[in-house]
Amino acid sequence: MKQALDDMDKKANSPADLRVGVYVCHCGKNIGSTVDCEAVAQFASTLPHVTLAKDSLYTCSEPGQEQIKTDIREQKLNRVVVASCTPRLHEPTFRAACESAGLNPYLLEMANIREHCSWVHLHEREAATSKAKDLVAMAVARAVRLEPQFELSVPVKRSSLVIGGGVAGIQAALDMADAGYQVYLVEKSGSIGGRMAQIDKTFPTMDCSICILAPKMSEVGRHPNIQMLTLSEIKEVTGHIGNFKVKILKKARYVTDGCTACGDCIQACPQLAPDEFNAGLSIRRAIYIPFAQAVPSRYLVDMGLCLNNQGIVACDRCFQACTRKCIDFADQDKIVEIEVGTIVVATGVDVYDPTALTELGYGRFPNVITTLEFERLINAGGPSSGELIRPSDRKRPKNIAFLQCIGSRSKRSNPYCSNVCCMNTIKDALLIKEHWPETEVFVFYIDIRAFGKGFEDLFQRARREGVTFIRGIPGEIIEDISNGNLTLLGENTLLGTQYRYTMEMVILSVGIKPRSDAPIVQRLLNLSTDTDGFYMEAHPKLRPVDTTTGGVFLAGAAEGPKDIKDSVTQASAAASRANILMSKGEVKIPAVTARINTDKCVACGLCAKVCPYHAIEGSKELGYYRVVEAMCQGCGACVPECKFGALDQAHFSDAQIVSQIHEALANEPERKIIAFACNWCSYAGADFAGVSRIQYPDNVRIIRTMCSARVAPEWIELAFSMGAGAVLVSGCHPSDCHYNNANQNTARRVEKFWKRLDKLGLNKDRLRLAWVSAAEGAQFAKVIKEMEQGLRELTPDQVLETKQKLAKRVPRKGEPV
Amino acid sequence: MTVKLWNFFPREALYECYQCARCTGSCPALEVAEALGPRETILKCLNLGHDEVVEDERLWVCCTCNVCEDRCPQKIPISDLLVALRNSAARRGNIPDKLQIAIELLAKTGRSMIVHQLDEMRAHHGLAPLMPVPIDEVREVLKKTKLDDVIEF
Amino acid sequence: MKYALFLGCAIPIKYPGFEAATRRVCERLGIELVDMPFACCPPPTSLKMVHHDSWLALAALNLCRAEEAGLDLLTLCSGCVNTLKEANHTLKKSDSKRRKINRILEDQNHHYKGTIEVTHILDVLYQDSVVEKLIKEMSLELPMKIGCHYGCHYFRPPKIMYPDELSDSESYVPVKMDHLLSIIGMEPTEYSRKFLCCGSPLGANADQDAGYAIVKEKLGHIRERHIDALSVICPSCFEQFDMGQIALSRKFKDQSKIPIFYLTQLVGLSMGMTPKEVGLDVHRVKSKKLLESIGIS
Repeated sequence: MKQALDDMDKKANSPADLRVGVYVCHCGKNIGSTVDCEAVAQFASTLPHVTLAKDSLYTCSEPGQEQIKTDIREQKLNRVVVASCTPRLHEPTFRAACESAGLNPYLLEMANIREHCSWVHLHEREAATSKAKDLVAMAVARAVRLEPQFELSVPVKRSSLVIGGGVAGIQAALDMADAGYQVYLVEKSGSIGGRMAQIDKTFPTMDCSICILAPKMSEVGRHPNIQMLTLSEIKEVTGHIGNFKVKILKKARYVTDGCTACGDCIQACPQLAPDEFNAGLSIRRAIYIPFAQAVPSRYLVDMGLCLNNQGIVACDRCFQACTRKCIDFADQDKIVEIEVGTIVVATGVDVYDPTALTELGYGRFPNVITTLEFERLINAGGPSSGELIRPSDRKRPKNIAFLQCIGSRSKRSNPYCSNVCCMNTIKDALLIKEHWPETEVFVFYIDIRAFGKGFEDLFQRARREGVTFIRGIPGEIIEDISNGNLTLLGENTLLGTQYRYTMEMVILSVGIKPRSDAPIVQRLLNLSTDTDGFYMEAHPKLRPVDTTTGGVFLAGAAEGPKDIKDSVTQASAAASRANILMSKGEVKIPAVTARINTDKCVACGLCAKVCPYHAIEGSKELGYYRVVEAMCQGCGACVPECKFGALDQAHFSDAQIVSQIHEALANEPERKIIAFACNWCSYAGADFAGVSRIQYPDNVRIIRTMCSARVAPEWIELAFSMGAGAVLVSGCHPSDCHYNNANQNTARRVEKFWKRLDKLGLNKDRLRLAWVSAAEGAQFAKVIKEMEQGLRELTPDQVLETKQKLAKRVPRKGEPV
Repeated sequence: MTVKLWNFFPREALYECYQCARCTGSCPALEVAEALGPRETILKCLNLGHDEVVEDERLWVCCTCNVCEDRCPQKIPISDLLVALRNSAARRGNIPDKLQIAIELLAKTGRSMIVHQLDEMRAHHGLAPLMPVPIDEVREVLKKTKLDDVIEF
Repeated sequence: MKYALFLGCAIPIKYPGFEAATRRVCERLGIELVDMPFACCPPPTSLKMVHHDSWLALAALNLCRAEEAGLDLLTLCSGCVNTLKEANHTLKKSDSKRRKINRILEDQNHHYKGTIEVTHILDVLYQDSVVEKLIKEMSLELPMKIGCHYGCHYFRPPKIMYPDELSDSESYVPVKMDHLLSIIGMEPTEYSRKFLCCGSPLGANADQDAGYAIVKEKLGHIRERHIDALSVICPSCFEQFDMGQIALSRKFKDQSKIPIFYLTQLVGLSMGMTPKEVGLDVHRVKSKKLLESIGIS
């Protein structure tokens, strides 16, 4: 294998020309307080081809970058290694520095000694330092095998798709349309407006919600650059950043454009159903308009409810009632195909259903309602025309209780704080006090979170207006059947006394959660979700509206619970990010594509079969296959499939990775765990373990690939025949792969390797396959801890046996011996 | 003693508690008596150490109905915590008299209760005499588990 | 269908009428009961609170006896089922606890293996095949409004008692007794605070009056719904309600009393057994008038 490595090296620069500069960053105390950075730099200077090695307090700072640039120019460096944070954070920074000094940016390599070292071995200075040295040695070995790469530019279509017509989607659509781009706004329901249209007033300013939203909705409706598709759902997304092809299912509305929303049809319709917009508190007909201010201002027919289901016209009363004859029972669903350069996801949230919390009686006691129901109840356009009445007897309640954190901050429902409920309750309490000042209002809470601008003021105002805040959520609600009143049992934790309050109405301040169909959009766009099910941003601080899928941006509560102001802010940010791409008109794609050496290719076609993007073309007749670079996304799934060594991946070449394995196992290999981690999920997951300071054993050495499908069985074999204690192959969860399920190849290859180990009578537990998402730092740490446990039971004989049995294999055809 | 207590109940689970008081809000004992509710128990364990709790007689004022655990939004195993604390309390002599007497009876007879003229009473209902408890076996087992560290029998 | 019958202490000693009713009902329904020399379960309210190891070991001893006979354990009491199910669960799950307990039991020539299940008479009667048989054996309906009280230990903690039947919030709301009673022609009636504890352990370990205060609260809600009688599946709950009403009536003179039945007594009556056969004659709150009103004497 050593020979193979040398052979591969021959292709690269001749050793004499190589001049590597190593920069070890202290990152203030983040690395420096755990890792002895000076010692690491000193060690680096002893490595082959290293011309200079320095440590600095902040390598990413302006002086730090200047130093690199100066050294490239003056010391004639042709490779740069920065040992600092994760490449997912500062690789672009240092690449830019190299480029400005005239060095190809792909000749930079980073050693992750913060997220993967100092932060996860906080209290083990010696072990962390020794690990940092290994990581630097691995990076240097890889650096000397790096080759210059040139990125391909692809054009970006000047049009955008916005998914979701709530306030975030509306804002993003308007911003992009105003900037001059064509926007397609897709909304699942019959009208745009979303949750904001349902709310009575907004906090903390107490504006009328629909009054400020309706003008924006109309603007969308008449904007020349916006095409609105209501009753529509995304069915398929293909292509990539700059050029997405999207199939949209536009469901039949059964009412034509001629509709003037006169409403003559409603009285004629015999079919009734609960009105979703009024949270089920009123009824609507089968033909209906979602709400008065709906955009488009057109009726629609709920075919599930209409008597004319499945094309048979049994009832035409609405048709008869319509003077303009706008009802068309023959209307059909259709597929609309569009091409866009960017996508903004603004799918919003559902509210928590508290029925499962039986002790609160929601669904059994008519006077226990949710905050969303209450919003409709006190809205002038709502079921009671804005009168404050309670459901059981339609009388105005004399006292009302709000219960906070229902369905939030709980392992039984949503573990996170829903962000908006505290202020929403305070706003509602004030509204009650404003219109019906004699009403007593009690708020039962755990913590009041009034963190935003103007929030604390509103909270104090509510207290001054006489709203009583009681710390302690009731354990139980008892209904008095004679009058529908509700008795709340609980403890006032600040007084340390038990209470019993009798209330005429109880409002459950329910939390918000990702839309039930959020996973569908997630799969269509290859997005990641956090452990709570919200879409994950590319970086929580610095790329908060980007996703890991290029050209796709997030807006509104789909990314995490947020109020209207934050949703609008984020929507404008997402639009602005998309505008950058579209105004530039082109985007560079990373030069990590696969390449085929046509001399070695025997045209077997196996690589083309595993390519998730159909980016490999060729035939037996032609005599070879080749990669279409603009279509290749750089997963590398094809490379291990080639049995003739004809394939390799730019920037993640066999020689580069093999050299990392060699360095990682140079000392005490039997103690080491080689962990292959995919860039999008598992490497990010390991980063997240670092950010969360989750401590795990120091003997793991992580090697990054773009996709776990790039991991070649030969690498696993090499690691074991060098005496590695264990090998981990980790990637995204099967349905979350960023390369169109390329990681099914990972599973297939690992399973095959297990079988081989089994056949040879070797312990297959030493090779582990683990799916770790970007949010699962704890899971990554857990896997490593378990593997470390396994290493402790490993005997030297077992290591030796594996080494010998695996080393004995016959080299494959076309492979250097 | 401390080590043993947290062996039985994972101490980290206490940090999950944010004092929402759903447990005490549904506690029947607190409704009718001077009890030490789960919320206060957890807070004291965290802030003052569990010694404070273990010495408190109110620790025993409880229905053992487990509704607290059922309502806990954080799924804290409250019943395990209370068992651990009371076991520890009993070892230190904090145990209600009634309970002490009941356990002495259990250890002596293998049953929780005795009555006079049991056979006659059972015959009234057409039932055969009750099968005797293999009391020697029971006592041997209880000796081995070291029940007499806490209660002599 | 064959079970090892775990009588516990309270039923055979204090309320043998429940035992008589259960034996008669089971015989008619083809459920074979095998008697064995079991010891006290021991209760989750006493020994477990004081000495967990002893509690687990004694429970394991009882489990072993049934296991050696190759029979599942049938309990008649919420306390017994709670102890034996939890102990069985703990010992099946934890290798270290199993080893520890087996070291204690080995001198007595017992070895816990974890091969049996523990169940409660309500769950046994609720099985489809038993209900079918019950419908055939039934001779009269009992048309009255009945309230069900399940007893906390019968179903909490749900993750141990009914792990396969948890709700969305990982809780368990028992319904089997209500369903079963409707089969024998009763009218199961919901009432507020149905799942409130009876207060028995509070009375036993701490404060009798406080325990009865809970009974008072509960009876208030039961009366509110004009419920004729209460059905229970645990002798401790029974005693708490039966004796509790006598004690409360001395304190608060004006209150009418609500008869309490043990589940198999009601099932027995529906099969035509006499009140004496199911042991109603020793209840403190008398049910004579109520039963006469539906033609049973």
